[in-house]
Amino acid sequence: MSTTSEAPAVASDAGRPTAGKLSIVMFSGTADKFIPLGILSQAAAAMGMEVQVFVTGFALRGFTKVRQDLPFAAEFAAMAPALAEGMAAQHVDTWDVMLRQAKELGAEIHACSAMCAVMGLTMADFNDLIDDIVGAASFLQMAEHGETLFI
Amino acid sequence: MAPGTPPHTLVDSRGSTCPGPITDLALAYRRSKVGDVIELWATDPGVKPDVEAWAAKTGNRIVSLEDQGDKIVVVLDIVRR
Repeated sequence: MSTTSEAPAVASDAGRPTAGKLSIVMFSGTADKFIPLGILSQAAAAMGMEVQVFVTGFALRGFTKVRQDLPFAAEFAAMAPALAEGMAAQHVDTWDVMLRQAKELGAEIHACSAMCAVMGLTMADFNDLIDDIVGAASFLQMAEHGETLFI
Repeated sequence: MAPGTPPHTLVDSRGSTCPGPITDLALAYRRSKVGDVIELWATDPGVKPDVEAWAAKTGNRIVSLEDQGDKIVVVLDIVRR
C-alpha cells in the first residue's frame, strides 16, 4: 500500500508569520450592517490579510452607480440619528470610504452572479467598488483555508 | 538626520478612529524597507492592542509604546517586509 503526500495547500514563506485571510459574505441590505463590513475589511487589509468580499442578496443595492438610500434595520432605526452624530463628531469614515481604503490595501469585492441575474444587474450598473461578478463556487474557493463571516 | 540613522517616518493618526491608525501604519509599512523606523501617533483608545496585534501579524518589532496623555506614541522597527 502506498500513500500519496501532497504539499499543504496553504502557502507560506518559511518562518514568516502567516497573514491569513478574511472572507465576508455581505448579504444584509441595511445601513447598520455596512459599518462592520467597512471596519473589518479595512482592519483585516491593514493587518496584511487577504480580504475577499462576496456581495449578494439585499447588499447589492449598496454598490450600484445610482446611489440608493440604505435604510437602518427597524430595531436600530431609533438610534440612527445619535449614531450618525457620534460618527460625524469622531470623523469616522463612511463604510464605502473604508472599503475603498481596504481595496487600496488589496481587498477584492465580488458581486454574486445569481443575485445579479435575479435583480437584472450587470457590471455596468455597479460603481467601481465591485471588481467582478462571480458565482458562489468561485467565492468558496477564494475563501478556502481562511475565516469567513456572514453579515 | 545623522549619518547611519535609519529612515524615520512619522505617521500622525491623531483624531482617527479604529481602524484608521493601523491603516495609516500599513500604508507607511508598504512604502518602508527593512531597517526603517516608523513612529505612529494616535489617540484611538484601541491603538495599543491593535498595534501589538499588527506587529505580531506582520512580524515587526515594537521598540516603545508610550501613552503621553494627549497621544499614544508607538515606535516600530521594520524587520520584515
